[in-house]
Amino acid sequence: MSSRRTLAPYLLLIPGLAPIIVLMTLVIGMAVSQSVTWTDVSGKVSLSLEAWRVTFESDQFWRAFLYSARIGTLGAILSVAFAYPVALWLRRPFAGSDLVSALIKAPILVHGLVAAFLYVNFVSFQGFLNVALVGLGLAARPIRMQNDPYAIGVVVLQVWKNMPLAFLILSGSVRAISDDVLNAARDLGAGTFGRLRRVVLPLTLRSLQAALIIIFIGAAGDYTFQAVAGPTSLNSMAQFMVRMETDNGLQGVSLAAVVAVMLMGLSLCGSILLAGLMQFLVKRAGR
Amino acid sequence: MATLFRPAERWRNRALILFALVLFFFALVLPFGMAVLWSLVDPSHPWAYPNVLPPVLSFRRWVEIWTTTGLQQALVNSYTVALTVSIATILLALPTAFAFGRMEFRGKAAAQVLTLLPLAMPLFVLAIFYVTILSKLGIYSRFLGIAIGHTVCLLPYAIRLLTVSFSGVRQDLIDAARDLGASRLTVFRHAYLPVLKPGLLAALIIVFILSIEEFAISYIVGAPDFTTVPTILFSYLGYNFIRPSAAAVSLILVVPNVLLMLIAERLLKSAGASGAAGKG
Amino acid sequence: MVSDAPALRVENASLRYDRFQALNAVSFSARKGELVTLLGPSGCGKTTLLRAIAGFVPLDSGRVEIEGQDMAGIPPERRDTAMCFQSYALFPHLTVADNIGFGLRQKRLSGSAMTARVEEVAAQVRLSAQLERLPAQLSGGQQQRVALARAMAVRPGVMLFDEPLSNLDAKLRDQVRAEIRSLQRAQGFTAVYVTHDQAEALAMSDLVVVMRAGVVEQMGAPEDIYRRPANRFVADFIGTANIMAAKVVAEDRTNGLYKVATPLGEAVVRSDVPPVAPHVYLCWRPEDARIVSHHETGSLQTNIYRLQVRSRTYLGNLVDLEAGRGESDGESWRIQTHGLGHGASAVNPGDTMTIEIAPERFRFLNEAVT
Repeated sequence: MSSRRTLAPYLLLIPGLAPIIVLMTLVIGMAVSQSVTWTDVSGKVSLSLEAWRVTFESDQFWRAFLYSARIGTLGAILSVAFAYPVALWLRRPFAGSDLVSALIKAPILVHGLVAAFLYVNFVSFQGFLNVALVGLGLAARPIRMQNDPYAIGVVVLQVWKNMPLAFLILSGSVRAISDDVLNAARDLGAGTFGRLRRVVLPLTLRSLQAALIIIFIGAAGDYTFQAVAGPTSLNSMAQFMVRMETDNGLQGVSLAAVVAVMLMGLSLCGSILLAGLMQFLVKRAGR
Repeated sequence: MATLFRPAERWRNRALILFALVLFFFALVLPFGMAVLWSLVDPSHPWAYPNVLPPVLSFRRWVEIWTTTGLQQALVNSYTVALTVSIATILLALPTAFAFGRMEFRGKAAAQVLTLLPLAMPLFVLAIFYVTILSKLGIYSRFLGIAIGHTVCLLPYAIRLLTVSFSGVRQDLIDAARDLGASRLTVFRHAYLPVLKPGLLAALIIVFILSIEEFAISYIVGAPDFTTVPTILFSYLGYNFIRPSAAAVSLILVVPNVLLMLIAERLLKSAGASGAAGKG
Repeated sequence: MVSDAPALRVENASLRYDRFQALNAVSFSARKGELVTLLGPSGCGKTTLLRAIAGFVPLDSGRVEIEGQDMAGIPPERRDTAMCFQSYALFPHLTVADNIGFGLRQKRLSGSAMTARVEEVAAQVRLSAQLERLPAQLSGGQQQRVALARAMAVRPGVMLFDEPLSNLDAKLRDQVRAEIRSLQRAQGFTAVYVTHDQAEALAMSDLVVVMRAGVVEQMGAPEDIYRRPANRFVADFIGTANIMAAKVVAEDRTNGLYKVATPLGEAVVRSDVPPVAPHVYLCWRPEDARIVSHHETGSLQTNIYRLQVRSRTYLGNLVDLEAGRGESDGESWRIQTHGLGHGASAVNPGDTMTIEIAPERFRFLNEAVT
């Protein structure tokens, strides 16, 4: 009886947790094992670091790696930077605050591809922006803004789509700070900035880190925004991985696997770095 | 104690609300309005520079997309996958959510973190190696492949939502029902169901929406012949950018999901309210 | 040099929320080293007044002066006040030492001076061993003391207490109450203390300000408030009171003697102040009545009443009786007597007893019967 009792929760975990663990283990295992196998021209499969060598010698790979790292970092930091002040502003309800938070959350309901389409449509030759610029006499002819080489479009889309997510995560923790705690800080001589540095930031550090990590992983692994609105001369990691897989015949899987492992590594390291940076900054500000 | 906002603060808030409204207009209302306009452009009268508005509006484009493209099949595919996935996900998530919501055991926190794994995995990495696994396992049904992939990836959401629902069930109600000699079924009906129902429906809807919206797995596993609404939209956004078609498919993808999401949110609010009342 | 200006002065403070008058021309002042209690039922405006002193809520009119300086327009962070919150409001991410040092760091004290002050204050509230803990690792009583230490550390001109004991259990409450009072005496800080607990107010204060619906009902030393309540509200709110409508039938103002007719019977009242009207409220406390034994009755003439006991509650140190004249309906009065004296233990519901109330035990309220 008692052993049944203690086993029960673990048995109940199986249907929900087992599929997740099995699939994740298989995928990671598959990516890692494929990255160290190599199929030569004759079709002979062997254990080899050839795929790693080929990938690391590729300029295009490193450009994709740095590009994804950049988009991930910019997307995460900008989204959080925009969302945080708004979350602070809406900390306490006032007339109209519900409306504002509903408006901010709206992009969550818009599919990424639709967002990308709306953006491209907005900045295209016949898009609103160009029509407005020309109409206002700010430009003589429509300007080409689609697939801009600096990936401004991709960053705009990342922020547009992820800022609401950051807002959701942050507003929960900002609202959890009690008025009394803020009043106590005030009463002990902390001004607006002092309260932010010494009370609000430290108390919201965990959710700041969570928001940065979630957005970074999503933006660094992005495929669709880059494919639709990104610069044509560059690939994101996900895009590069798919291209490696389809363009390289027998060796495709191995090359894609190297990119996949590197992308997972980037997600992990980037997350740790961003979270660490945030912690450092908040600790520093609190001094 | 009610603290009122000072006049200066009130004016600042009003100005900021106005700013938010303007931003919202340019970031969402206007782009959507343009999408609607584009979907209504008449195929025989193109909308090109320097026309500010389309010269002729008609539903011909909608009719054309509906009758001549693979959209109908894509809709059928998307919705059957989503229905299968949402039911399968909820069924798998229920026991686990029960354990998380109503039991204490060693390693619970760690197990809860593990359920979040799919959220930390770049979806395209997952999709590509998932395909390799499927072919090694000899699963060639694209429908099945996508459905299984979606189910696993959406389990974290369902588990999380249902855990909250289960933990909102009041132990005193269960005890009272049992104390009064209720059968297991009666206990379930009176103590569990009222609290669970909104959460269950919300989880069902949210998983359904997320499955319809999922792109990476559908695209990689389904390519090239099994299309869903997002993959068909992607094909319109790729090398052959067909703006009016993309506009129409965008609207088809967004509008039903927004309506469903509003229902889900309402359900979750009512669940939250009853859960909170349960604590008091 | 101690200046003549009171440490705190509140003058005609008024505040209105929409249609609710939270404060209506409230005035009081606290001398240096005094503990003033704001006492009243919930919603009486006492907490609002405290928050107005701290600067969290702006007044519509009137002024707050701290050490002679007008506080109008000065934000809370620049006022020389420190508050102990009802919820303690400790910073959950900071250790006990950092919590106590929060205000000092804001004042840019040097590191060593700060450490010294934190240790000094921590010792005063017996928290020296917990300095490195986080608030969540402390008991309720310890958290309360951290809140106190944090406020004391900055040596504020005025300490503000917002029902600081309401989250403690009864036994701890008495103990912390005594601690706060003795610390306040020893350190000599000026304090304003908000409570709805009249026992707390009586036990701690130099001055009690009784409030109701945003208005000061009475202000005075604890004994004054208890012995000479101004009106029915104060009499009833502080302790238990028997309040009777009385009609003056004869008076001898030179000797301060009045004969009045009351529902209890005819009574002789000795009072320094004459009644405010011929029909006036008269009050006496449950402990003012003395149960008279049978052989005594013949020798007494004034203020002797025969009452029938309706209920009896044993309170350990006291016996609480409810008694009326004859039949069970009609007015009844509360009488408290020490359990051992005068055979109170022998008195049971339905019994008849005789009580005596000395003339000086009656008190005219400044409130006419209308």
